[in-house]
Amino acid sequence: MTKHVPIGLIETPFQPRLQALSTAKSWTNWAGYVSPGMLDTVEFEYFAIRNQATLFDISPMHKYRLTGPDALRVVNRLVTRDAAKLRDGRVGYALWCDEEGMVIDDGTLFRFSETDFRLCCQEPMYTWLLDTAWGFDAEITDESDEIAALSLQGPTSFSLLQDAGLEAVAEMKPFDWREIEPDLWVSRTGFTGDLGYELWVPNGKALELWDRLWAAGGPWGLKAIGFDALNICRIEAGFIAAGFDFQPVHTAMRLGRGRSPLELGFGKMVDFTKGHFNGRRALLDQQKNGLRYHLRKIEIGGFKPADGALIYHKKKREVGHVTSGVWSPTTKRNIALAEFKAPFGDGITDDLWAEIYVNEEGQWNKRLVPVTVEDKPFFINSRARATPPRPF
Amino acid sequence: MGQHDRYDAIVAGAGHNGLTAACYLAKAGLKVLVVEKNDWIGGAAVSRSLHEGWTYSNCSYVCSLLRREIVRDLELPKYGLQVIPYEGGASFSRDGDYFAYMSDHDALRREISRHSAHDADAYDRFSQTVIRQCRFIRPFLLRNAPDPTSLKPRDIGELLFLIRQAHGLGKKELGETLRFWSMSIGDFLDEHFENDLIKAHIAGAGIIGTGLGVYSPGTAYVLLHHYMGDVDGAIGAWGFARGGMGAISNALGACFEEAGGTIVTGSGVDRFLVDNGKVTGVALDNGDEYHAPIVASNMDVKRTFLQHTGQQHLPGDFVKAVKRFKIRGSSGKLNIALDALPEFPAAPKGAPFLRGDLHCAESLNELERAYDDWKEGRWSQNPYFDMLIPSQIDPTMAPPGKHMMTVFVQYAPYDLEVGGVRAGTNWNGQTRGAFADCVFDKLEQACPDIRSKTVHAEIRTPWDIEQEVGLTEGNIFQGELTFDQLLFNRPVPGYAQYDTPIDGMYIVGSSAHPGGGVMAAPGANAAREILRNIGRSGNMTGYAA
Amino acid sequence: MTTPTYDAIVIGAGHNGLAAAATLARKGKSVCVIERNATAGGMARNTTLAGGIKAPEIAHLLYNLHPKVKKELGLGSPRAPLEVRELPAVSLSEDGYHAVIRSGRAELADGRPHPEAAAFDEMMRRLTLFAGLLGQLSTKSPPSLEGGLASLGTLTELAGLAKLGLDLKRMGKKDMREFLRVLLSNAYDLILDDLEDGPLAGALAADAVRGAFAGPRSPGTVFTLMYRLGQGGGAQLPMGGMGAVAAAFEAAARAAGAEIRTGASVARVLTENDRAAGVVLEDGTEISGKAVLSNTGPMAAMMLAGAEHYDVEAVRRMRNQRCKGTAAKVNLVLNAAPVFPGLSPELMAGRLLIAPSTSYVERAFNPTKYGEMPANPVIEAVIPSLTDPEVAGGGRHVLSAVVGSVPYGLEGGWDAAARERLAAATLATLEKYAPGISALVTERQVLSPACIEARTGAPGGHWHHAEIGVDQILTVRPANGMAHYRFGPEGYYLCGAGAHPGGDVTGLAGRNSALQLLKDGVL
Repeated sequence: MTKHVPIGLIETPFQPRLQALSTAKSWTNWAGYVSPGMLDTVEFEYFAIRNQATLFDISPMHKYRLTGPDALRVVNRLVTRDAAKLRDGRVGYALWCDEEGMVIDDGTLFRFSETDFRLCCQEPMYTWLLDTAWGFDAEITDESDEIAALSLQGPTSFSLLQDAGLEAVAEMKPFDWREIEPDLWVSRTGFTGDLGYELWVPNGKALELWDRLWAAGGPWGLKAIGFDALNICRIEAGFIAAGFDFQPVHTAMRLGRGRSPLELGFGKMVDFTKGHFNGRRALLDQQKNGLRYHLRKIEIGGFKPADGALIYHKKKREVGHVTSGVWSPTTKRNIALAEFKAPFGDGITDDLWAEIYVNEEGQWNKRLVPVTVEDKPFFINSRARATPPRPF
Repeated sequence: MGQHDRYDAIVAGAGHNGLTAACYLAKAGLKVLVVEKNDWIGGAAVSRSLHEGWTYSNCSYVCSLLRREIVRDLELPKYGLQVIPYEGGASFSRDGDYFAYMSDHDALRREISRHSAHDADAYDRFSQTVIRQCRFIRPFLLRNAPDPTSLKPRDIGELLFLIRQAHGLGKKELGETLRFWSMSIGDFLDEHFENDLIKAHIAGAGIIGTGLGVYSPGTAYVLLHHYMGDVDGAIGAWGFARGGMGAISNALGACFEEAGGTIVTGSGVDRFLVDNGKVTGVALDNGDEYHAPIVASNMDVKRTFLQHTGQQHLPGDFVKAVKRFKIRGSSGKLNIALDALPEFPAAPKGAPFLRGDLHCAESLNELERAYDDWKEGRWSQNPYFDMLIPSQIDPTMAPPGKHMMTVFVQYAPYDLEVGGVRAGTNWNGQTRGAFADCVFDKLEQACPDIRSKTVHAEIRTPWDIEQEVGLTEGNIFQGELTFDQLLFNRPVPGYAQYDTPIDGMYIVGSSAHPGGGVMAAPGANAAREILRNIGRSGNMTGYAA
Repeated sequence: MTTPTYDAIVIGAGHNGLAAAATLARKGKSVCVIERNATAGGMARNTTLAGGIKAPEIAHLLYNLHPKVKKELGLGSPRAPLEVRELPAVSLSEDGYHAVIRSGRAELADGRPHPEAAAFDEMMRRLTLFAGLLGQLSTKSPPSLEGGLASLGTLTELAGLAKLGLDLKRMGKKDMREFLRVLLSNAYDLILDDLEDGPLAGALAADAVRGAFAGPRSPGTVFTLMYRLGQGGGAQLPMGGMGAVAAAFEAAARAAGAEIRTGASVARVLTENDRAAGVVLEDGTEISGKAVLSNTGPMAAMMLAGAEHYDVEAVRRMRNQRCKGTAAKVNLVLNAAPVFPGLSPELMAGRLLIAPSTSYVERAFNPTKYGEMPANPVIEAVIPSLTDPEVAGGGRHVLSAVVGSVPYGLEGGWDAAARERLAAATLATLEKYAPGISALVTERQVLSPACIEARTGAPGGHWHHAEIGVDQILTVRPANGMAHYRFGPEGYYLCGAGAHPGGDVTGLAGRNSALQLLKDGVL
């Protein structure tokens, strides 16, 4: 008999718990899964990330396993960085490009060994990985629907894990990852720029993991959160997001929407010396001939978030736009990521202005506020990197 | 015979393109007459009541290509046109499974993955390519095809526009575009997909209405021709005109009459009147004559010039070119009145995709073999069909609880071979019945109870369509959509801008650029050229103003 | 072990590899050609059948040898001797009214004028005119579309295109319009617009699709017909067999100073820092060179360098390349000259076509699409021994037949039984036009497209290495983004038929790639 596919959004293994906790009933579609935009209020969920500990269901992420004698060669053919330099049990941020050097997606690369990797990303990538592995002795497995994952983030997350019986995470440095218990893998990673971990289990053990963390979470202020609060933190940390700060080139219907890793500010993530990788020749050409855009972190005058605002040079010439913008409650700054047409944003950084439209109780006002280009992430805190982590 | 009023312009044929041209001309202030051989207007965009209580869109049956600029210019919604999108489709296989196309992208990915994990991403890549090609081609639909041999500033301008658009693609995309335009839909799908059922489901759009097989180069473009439309901006979406396809023609007719135009039905053009190389009017079958300095023919180019125009008025080369213009009948149709909704045992009950286009093709080779039959003058023994039940969405099509089914069949030859002789007249009661039986046999693959629920069926062969609608060989596009008959080659090189060798005479039907489908672009473009040529382009309303 | 360093190493001594080597060597470059087989020549070799009878192994006639290549390489000169005989084409008819095409003109085999001679003449005039026009594009790299309209490289290209455009205009509006109309059209319609369906029409249809995975109704077959008519369409029989052509190319290369190593197989291409550095042979020998040219098929060339040196999209394009050969070769040794009723001895020695109508040719291709054996194949046969005594002897003759519409991917595979079926279908078809021929056969050699692939490395056994479809020519040949013979790592070039302009014994792909390499300043 035919197994008919479900229509509409489907649920991750954690949905029963999320459903029970949701007072806001604000659900969004994440890769076909029901995912919380917020469970309670964005404000308190945000502060829980920066002050306590939070759980976010990242199961809808696409997860792929690359295994086999040629796994490392395939990974290195795929990503712009050198995966040979990634040690076993380490995780690396990675970007990968099409033949024109335009970013297909970014994600995290988990190295079990030279012959075994996991790639975790936003966009479906199965066929691209198959194509990348063609001619190599490597196997691609789509684990997206088999592995559930939770992101535990916040300054008390380490203490919480200790209380949950996972003391072994104490020695884990940022970007370490290991099988802390059979079938439970933990990585010291996250999308908040804060202390945090991601926990990976087979679907069948998902609720058990949730309940275990939840049980230990009380004293540590554990709160389940949705994407909206997380999004504020990732902008504070200066992390880019697919579909916001760049358009994954395989999903762009219009031409010219792709951006290279160099243009997104990830020149350091491109290793031209490791041998050929996808888009290498195009990126070398781009490096030689000049970038078209610069994605930069900016601070904006005033107190109104500037998402989507156009940016002008000398208040006149349109030179870019804000790709993600929020008011940062922790740093008390008006921050954003913005894309500039070169040479603006890198060569020319003065006299830049953002045009913001604000609706004040039914009245629309236009504001022109100054823009300052920043080099460093807005939120930096040593607790994120301390090993062993501090208790809170 | 009577001598009648003089008009500024006469349009021969009240098909959707003829009516569209007539509307634009009338709205520009011309006194326009439309003559139509049938007792009803609409050509191949009609709603007919052939079985009491049921409405058949008995020629064209779904709507997407109708250019939104034209709909807005002519205010067709004001005259009753309502287009409602439908939400999916499916192909049923003999083993009791199906592939469903779903408008929900995530559900579609799951459905594709059910058949092939590889193909789910491949479908996104396929869509990206096709949508990019649609975006590339759409600006050309309402423009003139430039004459590459001409040095006129306007032709050079149009040529430069084309070059600029092409250059804007960038080198990689331009290369891909060149390939896409010259590929077969079969090869194109083989490059993307591995699953036969999925390939077959998509491939139909590459052959519908043509005398080509899925592996004939150029059919990727035919697919594009079926994808380049939209419903409310959703590129590639198709919908139903509420009340059947006649709703489009009726809205056009109402618009035209409100603009002061006159429609005379019931007698077709016997001949175009030409004096000294200049058109002067038309003489109808009933002997009536109407006069105008401008005459626009909505008939296809063969019918216009080989049957209704004195050959002495035409250059020999032109006649030769018209003769060699390929208009090949390749499609038949069944319009079926159903007592109740048929069962689709393979599908979940009430599945939304059953409200879309349904097929039973399982592989590209099956479709190619269907074409091999047609080449030999046979209808496909294992035919492809595009079947819909519009009454599930549009309540006006059938009595409550009853349903109307439209089945477009590919391939059916015009010149049917019987006993070694190929002729349209071989289509008779017996061969027509055998053809319908063949289609019903295959329909049973999807809905086994179809025969028992059928209360009436209209069987339309290419021969019938030619006889009734006037389309040569019953070809739905008024001419094959191959590159030798597109753009500046359509219909005849040197006469690709709606003009003809006869002064004042124009071609406004689908034989002209950009070709067939219920698009109305040829009609609108032709009206623009007419107004321009008589120095009244200032009166043009809407997109071309 | 120390090995000499060359300026360029050519992989494969097919005629294009030899043309590339000769072209480079003539410019004073040190060149080494490495050939897997014991003899050079690829598809243009002779074979020796039992009893020492010499036959053209695969290709048997010359159509398209480009005059530029001939002149530059000195083919036919004392240093590379080559003698050819022009042959008439005879399109056989079961009713005995065979059509003959001699120097582009139609007549009947019994000497009477062909009733459609005038129409045929006009069609050939147009087609050869158009073919000549397109031929302009064949002697250089195709337009690249790179760098945008403003770049200098593109400007030079545009100038080339502008010349083409000018010549197009010079033809006059009528021919220009006709050119633009038929360019992408199908041979079936083009032919039948002006000719009755019969042997004369069939001959053109067969020439349009020979070797192609297409029937004459497929759009794009007018282009392949024009390709075939590049040098007027006349067929020439090389004296001494097709091997003489290979020998001439080889002699030209050697005379220019190129070294040719046969019986040595390249295992892989060496690269350093994204640059070709030489080759490694199967026996482990490393040979270093500043540039490497590959006369193999495009996919094989890519795999020699290693897929990791190519972008994923490029590999995908290679994988998707259409190269399903449809031509098989049947060589028959006959103990006497066969009798074709209605043919004079002179015509019997001509290019014999079994393509009695365009519909026949289209029908023949139907089974091919599904991997089935054609019952009634299209055949191009020649009996070289009637013209060239060197080929057979002792009253014995060789009939060399290129059998079309034979699928590379035959359902069930190409085993001995399948080859036997092919031989039977071929003989049954020949028997209709030459009754009794089967009884004369003393030996037969049957090479399926799969065998041809195994013997020559030509992908799919396709003599164009990749289908000449409109989606696989010029700027997208062998693939989008790879049209300039440059093939991945710097200094690595594709010089075989898979590159622009394509196959047939033209020598152009080899010559053009060598010129592009020199222009790129790799050496």
